Amino acid sequence: MPGMNSGLSPGDPTLVAAFRSALLHQGAIAVLTLAFLWLLWATARTWRPAAAPSAMSRAATSRAAIAEPRGRWLLRTGFGVLWIFDGFLQAQPKMAGGLATQVIEPIAASSPGWVQHLVNWGGTVWSYHPIQAGAASVWIQVGIGAWLIAAARGPWSRLAGAASVAWGLVVWVFGESFGGIFAPGLSWLTGAPGGVLFYVAAGTLIALPEDVWRRPRSGRLLLAGAGVFFAGMALLQAWPGRGFWQGTAGGKAGTLSGMVTQMSATPQPRVLSSLLSGFASLATRYGFAVNLVVVIALAAMGAAFLTGRPRLVRYAVWFGIAFCLADWVLVQDLGFLGGLGTDPNSMIPLILLFSAGYLTLAPEVTGEMAGTGEAADDGKAGGTGGAEKAQDAGNVGRPRPGVLSGLGNVVASARARSVAAVGALAVIVLGAAPMASAAANRTADPILALAISGDSSRVDLPAPGFSLTDQDGRTVSLASLRGKVVLLTFLDPVCTTDCPIIAQEFKQAGQMLGEQAGQVEMVAVVANPTYRSTAFTRAFDRQEGLTTVPNWVYLTGSLSQLGEVWRHYGVSVQNLPAGAMSAHNDLAVIIDPAGRIRQEMDADPGPGTSGTKSSFSVLLSQYARQALGQS
Amino acid sequence: MSRRVTVAAALLACAGLIAGCGSRPAGVTGAGPPLAAPLSTSLVTAQGTWAVAVMGGPDADNKFWQLFFRPVTGGRWSLVTPQGVADNGGLVAAGGGAYLVVGFRPSQNLAFSPLATSTDTGRNWTPGLLDAGLADTPGAIAVGPSGRTLALLQDGTVEAAPTAGAAAAGRWAPLTTLKALAASAPGRACGLEGVTAVSFGPDGSPMVAGSCARPGPAGVFTDAGGTWRSAGLVLPAGGRARVLGLTAIAGGTVALLAASRPGGTSLFTAWWNGTRWTVSAPVTADGVRAFGFGPDGSAWLLPGHGRPEAVAGAASSAWRPLPPVPPETGTLAPGAGGSFDALAVAGSRLTVWRLGRGAWARVQQVTVPIQVGSSG
Repeated sequence: MPGMNSGLSPGDPTLVAAFRSALLHQGAIAVLTLAFLWLLWATARTWRPAAAPSAMSRAATSRAAIAEPRGRWLLRTGFGVLWIFDGFLQAQPKMAGGLATQVIEPIAASSPGWVQHLVNWGGTVWSYHPIQAGAASVWIQVGIGAWLIAAARGPWSRLAGAASVAWGLVVWVFGESFGGIFAPGLSWLTGAPGGVLFYVAAGTLIALPEDVWRRPRSGRLLLAGAGVFFAGMALLQAWPGRGFWQGTAGGKAGTLSGMVTQMSATPQPRVLSSLLSGFASLATRYGFAVNLVVVIALAAMGAAFLTGRPRLVRYAVWFGIAFCLADWVLVQDLGFLGGLGTDPNSMIPLILLFSAGYLTLAPEVTGEMAGTGEAADDGKAGGTGGAEKAQDAGNVGRPRPGVLSGLGNVVASARARSVAAVGALAVIVLGAAPMASAAANRTADPILALAISGDSSRVDLPAPGFSLTDQDGRTVSLASLRGKVVLLTFLDPVCTTDCPIIAQEFKQAGQMLGEQAGQVEMVAVVANPTYRSTAFTRAFDRQEGLTTVPNWVYLTGSLSQLGEVWRHYGVSVQNLPAGAMSAHNDLAVIIDPAGRIRQEMDADPGPGTSGTKSSFSVLLSQYARQALGQS
Repeated sequence: MSRRVTVAAALLACAGLIAGCGSRPAGVTGAGPPLAAPLSTSLVTAQGTWAVAVMGGPDADNKFWQLFFRPVTGGRWSLVTPQGVADNGGLVAAGGGAYLVVGFRPSQNLAFSPLATSTDTGRNWTPGLLDAGLADTPGAIAVGPSGRTLALLQDGTVEAAPTAGAAAAGRWAPLTTLKALAASAPGRACGLEGVTAVSFGPDGSPMVAGSCARPGPAGVFTDAGGTWRSAGLVLPAGGRARVLGLTAIAGGTVALLAASRPGGTSLFTAWWNGTRWTVSAPVTADGVRAFGFGPDGSAWLLPGHGRPEAVAGAASSAWRPLPPVPPETGTLAPGAGGSFDALAVAGSRLTVWRLGRGAWARVQQVTVPIQVGSSG
């Protein structure tokens, strides 16, 4: 897919180091932000002991008397923990460089063209800014998780659910290619319709008014939804011609055994790998029977949930938990191993969802969930909640303070959970803001170029002079370019690999310079001992669309003239036998307007993807600006 | 309860539909690809025999095409691949008079075709330029005795350079295009679909050959002062004809054609003396690994499977099967007295087998310094 693949290794040390550094910096800022919020809150409470209770806090206090519905509590805390766990998974070292190429691209590859096109957009944004994107994913997910856990009740809590829906949809579309629902091979066993879709469903339920959770009908509806889902998945699993009924097909492993065998090859503890291998053998030998068990189990769970009968549902829930856990271990391989796992796949979220339905269906027992929810909040505050209430009671009838004092009162009267929720929101913004800023920039981050070529060498040497012939037959000397920054490189006009890419990087760098391009000359010197006439430099320019670039100069000369320039700039050029390209080292030299070399960089373009080309162009234009500033 | 069941049934039906959407579509079978002309070949000039073979591998970036030369006086092959350009895209070679012109096909990020011309059996090469991509067919270049050169481009345009010097300097002029040829009367008559080879006729005028959509006439055209005319070749057995190769010989032109017919693909050789065509008997082949022309109008063919075939010339127009070639044979090269060399390639090693007394005998090995990784 164009753009998505940066072409760099996920474990590239430069990318890994930059990712770790970004996480540490942003983590430090997050800690400081949280500490500041806590200090602000604590200070306000200390200095404003006489704060009047706000209408909101009074309402919350009255709500606290009724415990949060158990189903809602389960979803909120369960998915809160899951989001935090996913956030930590996003912090794995290979994630920044590898998510787009190793996770997103393979998933999208089997989807239809329009899905690939859409996903490619997201993948390209990621691969152009891998560090910002990687860090943003960490903080957004940790933030949403913390927000869900911290904000137990009221609008803040419902907003956390909405945030979960919004981010879940982003992940489901761009990270999971719609959970693969448009691709062949869809199966409940392997995570259809995408684990994150369950996060979206849970977020939607959390965002509903709390009263909805107190009606048993809601539980029945939720279970009916789960029932339809399981029945549909049973039908899908039973559908003939999809390879699930065969343990082997054409001498090869069947669909299920093939998938499990592939999963068992993921780096993981040996115990787990052995379990998977064993199940793969079973599925290979008894493919039909295994699939039959799966189909019957799914259909039975679907039917039980659809009846809505508490006793039957209870059995189905316990069976479902056991069955989902078995699939989670034996088929999905826990989902998060291998260094690029993004989440624990679909089974844990699914268990949380239908269990929440069951808890909502069961009669509510007020106070049963003591120690959880808002009621617990007061207790957890270590007595502050009680003190707060006492203070609130004493404040009735006091004169209304000014705006600033009013703000202070609001802060002082806020609950610990509200402050934590604000902190979680700050963490989300902390991650999302740099990514949003980077995504608005259509050029790639220079980190890609630095990962390929290493840092450039800063030098301050007089640039060796030369006088050669440009593509139009005119004589051009380095001295004649004095007063301008010269971006110098060495290109083979009949090169099949790097040189056209480097030329495109120079061209893009010129475009990025905008008005400053008039003060910069982009100069290439031929690097081929045989194919070096102006006919070839002109042909190269036409091929690369450089004929209309006003500050592009492609120089050539006699072999002795060229040899002297190559020698002075440390470029080794030689013909190779047996149909190989003429060999030369890739080099870019930045010469300031006074004719002094300021930077030398390895111009090897690496994989030459759109991301790396853009990244090199950014770097070249930055160096050119620096050289202009140094003049 | 019944309502619930109805709803559930409807939802299950929807799930079924979704399942159908996710299912893999049934495989689509269609007509097989047309018989393509491979670049592996050999040609005979006054100086000796040249052979083009692909070596290295297995991935495309490490496949390099090589040019070997065997002088007319001696029996040993030597590597003469011109240097300075990566030739992963393929080499096309053509000889005429004292000149041997080699064209580098585009590959990877190179979109045009550098050329190399030698007049000293490949010891020295003069660089040349074709400012467009050379077509992927062994008949994409033709060189006349005076050095006049024709080149067939990827888009079906035929360009001409008046001399070898002009070709080296990149001074080419368009001669015709696929569109113009297809719109001409002879082009319409055969339903011209593509241009596959260029050459010179007995009178030195350019010739262009291609593939036809209509059964019967073969797409061979001659340039009569700016007007393209059909050379009048019609295959006796009918079928859609595709010219795989076209070359000039003393006093005439030879063409190798493939004709698709209900029973499979048949191959013919046709000889033209400027006034009439002689067509060989057909030989059936499931594919072509290599083919080429020898001196005096002979031709040979290395099919996809089975034994190679050779035909001596217009006077003896029956195909003669040769003994099965040694493993890894990439191309054949005609030798003296109806003999052949088989050039077998394994990675960077070329083994030459010579046909004598009805069997192949190994006569030479050449280790080629393949620059693995230089194009990757």
